[in-house]
Amino acid sequence: MSHDVLIVDDSATIRQMVKKTMEMAGLNVRNVYEASNGIEALAQLADHDVAVMMVDINMPTMNGVQLLTRIKENQRLQDIPIVIASTEGSQKRIEQLSDLGAYGYVRKPFQPEQLRDVLKPLVGVKDDAAIEDGNAQDDLF
Amino acid sequence: MMQPSKTATLKTIFSDVLANMAFMFNDDDDLALSEPEVTWLETAIGYRGPWSGELTLWCTRGFAVLLSANLLGVDPRDDDAQSKSEDAVKEFMNIICGQLVTAIHGSEQVFDLTIPVIQELAGPPAFTEVDDPNLATLCIEGNPVQLCYTPGDAAGGD
Repeated sequence: MSHDVLIVDDSATIRQMVKKTMEMAGLNVRNVYEASNGIEALAQLADHDVAVMMVDINMPTMNGVQLLTRIKENQRLQDIPIVIASTEGSQKRIEQLSDLGAYGYVRKPFQPEQLRDVLKPLVGVKDDAAIEDGNAQDDLF
Repeated sequence: MMQPSKTATLKTIFSDVLANMAFMFNDDDDLALSEPEVTWLETAIGYRGPWSGELTLWCTRGFAVLLSANLLGVDPRDDDAQSKSEDAVKEFMNIICGQLVTAIHGSEQVFDLTIPVIQELAGPPAFTEVDDPNLATLCIEGNPVQLCYTPGDAAGGD
């Protein structure tokens, strides 16, 4: 079964890179929706059901922390796993994101294997995955 | 008291992120800083928290397109590489700034980064070779770039 994914990042370059990485990694993804900030993400979520979200923190209009808070307050959306992909290196911020209910965290710049390791438990992989298995990440933060 | 030089930190972070993210490398060729026909870009980002600071990058349009092409895995002549070149530099600066904040201030405090701002310059930037402790000048695959860190005030000072 394939899954739909929403990528929320104000950089079109990063959104394209993530899409390409998910393809290369053989992740079991069907539709990839995009949003460049939290407001656009909420609009996408009004129209589409997604299995997982990848969310940047530093975005204009509504940032990733605000979006995460809004989603966890929403009964229809609160169970969607949210993976934060950000440049943040602050341990305190990462703990804050975990407390808010984020599923996992990937620090930019990330390698394709890191992205796959965090998304694989959520969407699975196709049989002909191109990237070899990395070390399984038991701790996603 | 004189602040320790950030030049080595800037160079290391810039080179490492560029190599890991875009497979682009710093080389030791002489810098050609004054080619008048080259278009230059200035990109700035800041951070706020217990301390603040600004980071500014000057680079050529050629560097921006090459960066974009490498990130996207396309030819530099590809339309996507051209159209996303400024976006690529802004995101690159976002990542550099995130790494720099951790390198300078550690990972115990929370900082907020500003949204990067990019602009095309009317002419070449006033590159300087002086021994500025907050400046790093590099040559990336033939493209000169300069990165400048400006420390700000402690909390509440901005």
